[in-house]
Order: sequence, then structure tokens, then C-alpha cells
Amino acid sequence: MKFFNLMTCAAMAAALCAPAAQAQNGDTLQSVKDRGKLNCTGHNGSYPGLAELDDQGNWKGFDVTLCKVFATAIFGTEEGHLDILPLSWAQRWPAVQSGDVDLVIKATGWTLGRDTEIGLQFSRPYMLGSVNYMTHADLGLQSPTELDGGTLCVEAGTTYERYAVAHAASMGYEVKMVPFEKTEEMKAAFMSGRCDAIIDWDLQLAVFRSQTAENPDDYAIVPGPVTAEPLGVAMRQGDDNWVDIANWVINTLIFAEERGITSENVDDMKADPPSPQIAKLLGETPGIGTVLGLEDDWAYNVIKRHGNYAEIWDANLGEDTVYKLDRGANALMRDGGINYSLVID
Amino acid sequence: MQTTIADSLPPQRALGKRLRKRFFRTPLDVVITVASVVVAAYVLIPLLDWTIFSAVWSAPEGDASVCHGVEGACWAVIEARWRLIIFGLFPYEEQWRSSIALVVLVVTAILSCVPAFWTVLRLSLLWIVGFAAFYLLMRGGIFGLSVIEPSEWGGLTLTVFFFAAGILIGMPMAICFAMMRRSTLPVISRTMAVIIDGVRSLPLVTILFTAALILPFVLPGWLQGDKIWRVVFGFALFFAAYQAEVIRSGIQAIPSGQDEAAKALGMGYFHRVTRITLPQAFRNALPTTINQFVITFKETSLIVIIGFFDVLASGNAAYGTGEWSFAYVEVYIFVALIYFVFVFSLSLYGAYLERRMRVGQH
Repeated sequence: MKFFNLMTCAAMAAALCAPAAQAQNGDTLQSVKDRGKLNCTGHNGSYPGLAELDDQGNWKGFDVTLCKVFATAIFGTEEGHLDILPLSWAQRWPAVQSGDVDLVIKATGWTLGRDTEIGLQFSRPYMLGSVNYMTHADLGLQSPTELDGGTLCVEAGTTYERYAVAHAASMGYEVKMVPFEKTEEMKAAFMSGRCDAIIDWDLQLAVFRSQTAENPDDYAIVPGPVTAEPLGVAMRQGDDNWVDIANWVINTLIFAEERGITSENVDDMKADPPSPQIAKLLGETPGIGTVLGLEDDWAYNVIKRHGNYAEIWDANLGEDTVYKLDRGANALMRDGGINYSLVID
Repeated sequence: MQTTIADSLPPQRALGKRLRKRFFRTPLDVVITVASVVVAAYVLIPLLDWTIFSAVWSAPEGDASVCHGVEGACWAVIEARWRLIIFGLFPYEEQWRSSIALVVLVVTAILSCVPAFWTVLRLSLLWIVGFAAFYLLMRGGIFGLSVIEPSEWGGLTLTVFFFAAGILIGMPMAICFAMMRRSTLPVISRTMAVIIDGVRSLPLVTILFTAALILPFVLPGWLQGDKIWRVVFGFALFFAAYQAEVIRSGIQAIPSGQDEAAKALGMGYFHRVTRITLPQAFRNALPTTINQFVITFKETSLIVIIGFFDVLASGNAAYGTGEWSFAYVEVYIFVALIYFVFVFSLSLYGAYLERRMRVGQH
């Protein structure tokens, strides 16, 4: 992947030479409305759980559902109003800079370089990707530092490789890195015993363990994260209105979960709002749309069509799927996670 | 009428005798034969077992769990996901269009291999009709067909399209490049040499990446066109740079006396090139040209890095879901078979052409 990083740099250099790609306040929403379609990111291939294709070639997954949520917030429905463009990792930044996509929702971590040098703007994180080690179960590791003196299979040039190096350095243990170009090669090497551990996002480890491994019990995810990467929606810098929309759309999903609003009971809630905040959110008290440049019922449409955060999680990553991924840090604060709602006044 | 002993023997004994003569003549022969059979069995039996006997061929209602805990291959993944591999992101209800378009392209390619079509007029007509039909079917927009943007094209259809378009645009470019490279005017030949060497010294990936992502920043809007055409053009340029040198090598194998003789007879440049030089150059360069075609076909898989769903990327998406992520070997084998069918037919056709033209006999 180093090579692609290089090419991203090249693309960025070209982007910087070109006339400033800064967006003006409000013009992303305006151009989306003029176009009648929201352009959002897909994947060149597949990213299990986040952006994958069903048997009929339709996009699904957590990130893709968020794309649908944004299209619904703007147009009232995503049908006919959403184009998902398959992009490689390296294409993300040039595509958003040139306006090919309006949003990057593609397992994208919020980093200093991306926020400043590349000239992006991030929404509040919509998910915290916890990065863990997974080892052969018979090693019985209880924390990442116990990997001291072991070998680690990594995908060359990925952020995971850097995380492992940094974690080992800061916690004072030593790991020998064995780099591979492709995920499949890395996993095969791990299973054949070429190394003691692999490092990945817990979602990917869960996929690997339940599906790829012949006997899932042979492998254990080491408790305790090596690091966590906050994933946000990336946008062009300079369009504050667009950032507001991104933040409040994400917040709506979390707020709805916190207040128990689901796709099933949203009609009852709208008819008889239990609190002034819910009345405001669902558009019974006017105002939530106009401040963002949207219709007043945008939040109602979103919840009605796609549900709250928990429903989206369950449908794409959680109990209803093969991943059976625990909410972990992505649970609500009251359930021991870090998800909290901003205040609707 | 005389009969030999071999004739009068029953067929089994004749076979046995032949076997003995070929494989068990000396003790060393016996050892080698037995060892080869053992090694072959050691490799083949598990392979056959995995691919055929222990394999799962079908998953009712696309349920991947039938493959769990099975020793053999899980071909059910192909049954469940083949449309994704062949058609990529093309909308499900419209995939008949993509399949007809694919057939149109392949038939056009096969027809242009038939000697009866080998005139400039017929070939150009054939390909113009073929490409027009392909484009109408894929993109739609008339005859009540819904519009499907090239960003949604995918799978095998897209791979074959890139290959065909790259070669069709690249080949005339290559001929021009080769002729300019051989020009007697230093300005032209030196410039061309720099261009050819420049393109050849860049990796194809960077050329594709530049065409897809960086050109839009520098080109004015009216010149940009759709991403797919910029990429096809970059692909063709890369092919042309290599093919130009292939053609040039073919030209240089022709004795210079021929060109001089043609000049002495008063033939113009155009006639000398099209009637004397190029036909022989192509004949000389045929094996390398087929080689170049094969390489180009395989290089189409690089378009995945700029977000096109070629057949390899679609294969990637086919196993890239929680249900099927264990079945990547099967998907890769299936995709490899598709590549094999195309590339091997190309090689066979090349061999046929060589026989027909008797290349290599002088």
C-alpha cells in the first residue's frame, strides 16, 4: 500500500497546484440539490460489513447505509437520489477534492494530516474502530504487551503496521514484523503458523475468525485495544453548512437510540412526542430543517426508513448478520460505550 | 497377403507391448515411470478430491453455511455470486444488456479474426458497428433503455471492453508511432523516440491513475470527457508505446532493398508503407504482437485501483462479504479460468496465424 500512498501524494500535489478546491459555505448542499443526487463513496471490491455487495450487485453495509441516510435526509428518500461510486483508497481524496463525491464514508480515520494538509473536514466520529491483536488461542495472551518477543503478520504500509510499532515502542515490548502485500496472504501465513499474531480492526478479526478459520476456537482476540481509530465522514474544507448537516445527521441516529425512537415507533412518537426535544427532532415543532437548509421532517424520514444507530448496527454488523460484532466502545455511554448525543435545544 | 505378428495379436496385447516398449524398457525406465506415477498421484489425487469429489457445488438459497466444515472446494460461491463476477455493479434487472453487449464484443473480435474481413474497410465497419451496438446496449438512453453510466459497468464485460478499446485505439497509434520513429527527419524521429521511451519508462498504474484522477485538475472541462474514456486512452497510449517498438522491429527485419526498389518504381510513401512495409512487418512481428495482446489482456486488471469493477475486482467483491469470505480461493480459481479461456484462445489463434502465414519458416 506504500505505493498507493505515494500516488495519493502525487494526486494531492496536483490538486494543490490546481485552483483552490475549497468549498464555499452552503454550496455542497446546493449542488447536491441541483444535481438531484448525492454522490457517495463505495469500495473497489468490498469491505466486509461496511461496504459490500449482495448477490444482485446492490451495495449494503454500515458505511453504505450512512450514505443512504444522508441521501434520505436531503431528499426524503434515497431511492433514485443516491449514486455510490466505487473508489479505491488512494482515490478518496482526489475524488472529494474534485467534487466527484460529496462525502467520503469509507472506514476513514480522522487524522491530523488529513484534516490539515489534505484540506478535509471531518464530522464527529460515527464509529470507533478498535484495533486488536488476534493470536492462536493456545498462546492464551491476556493483554497486547504479552506478545513480547513474538512475530506479527502485517499488511505492509497500512496504518495497522504503524499502530503496532508505536504501541510496542510506548509499552516497551518487542515484536518482529512480517509484512505482506495482500490480506489473504497475511491471513494464510498466520493460519499456517508463520507468525504468532495478526493485527486488525476487531470487525475484520471477527470476520476472519467466524468465516475464514476452520475452527474459530483456535483463535482468540487479545483483550485490550492496541489503539482505536475514530472513523468520521470526510468532506471538503470550507463548507460549514455541510459539516453541520453531517454532524447532526449522525447525531440524530445516536439521539434516537438514546431516546428509544425506532423505525417502528417513530410514527407514534411524531404523533405524540414525549418531550419537546423529540418534537423538535421529528419536525412537530418547526425549525430543525430550516437551520440546516433541509426540510423539517428530514430526521423523521431518516429514522422511518433506516432506524436509529442500534438498528443500523444490528442490520449490518450486529446480531442479524454473520459478523455478530459486539457494540463494544460504540455502545451508548449509559451502556458502557462512548456514544453520546449532542444537545438538541 | 502377409500379416505381421503385431497385426495378428489381440489389441490388448498390442497395447501392452507398446506400453512396455515405451515406459518399461530398461530398469531405469521402470524406476522413472513408477516414480512419475507416484508423484502424479500424490499431487493429483488430493487436487481432484478438493476440486471435484469433496466439493460443494450448490448452496440452496445462497446459504453459505453448507460449506462450513467441508474438506473440498466450495463452488457454491460461484453459483450464488457468478452474476456479480461477470457483470459487476451493472443493475441486476438490466444485466441482460450487459450479457448481450459482451457477446457482441466477443463475436466482433472473433469475426475480425476471419481472413474474409481483412480489409481496412470491412474491419473498420465491423468494429464501428460492434462498438456502437456495445455502447448503445451498455449506456442506453434510447429505445426506452435506461441510462447506465460507465461507472456502473463492470465485471467481465468491462474487462473485455477495456481490452478491445485499448487495442483498437492503440494499434493505429502504434503504427503512427512506429512510422514516425523511423522518419528520416530527426525532429520527428527523435521526438517520437523520447515519447515512446517516456511512456515505456512509466508504470501503467501511474498512467491510469493520472488519466483518471489528475487530468481533471489540469484539463479544461470540455476536454475531460468521462473517466472511462480518459482511462481507455491512457491504456491505449501505453499499449501503443510498446506495440510501436514491436512493429519497428518487424519493419527493420525487411531488407532495405525492397523499399528502395519500390521507390525506384515510383511508388509513393503511402503505397510503399501500406503495400510493402507494413504487411511484411506485421508478419515478422506476429509472435511478439500476440505476446503483447496477451500481456495487455492481463493488464486490464490494473483498472481496479481507480475504482473500476473489472472481473478481478468483481471477484474480490464476490467473496468480500461475511458469508463468503472463506471462499476466496474458489473465486480466484474461477476468475483465473476466465482469464485462461481468453488468453489461451488468443495463443491458439496466434499459432493458427503463424501456420497460415508460415512465419518462422525462413
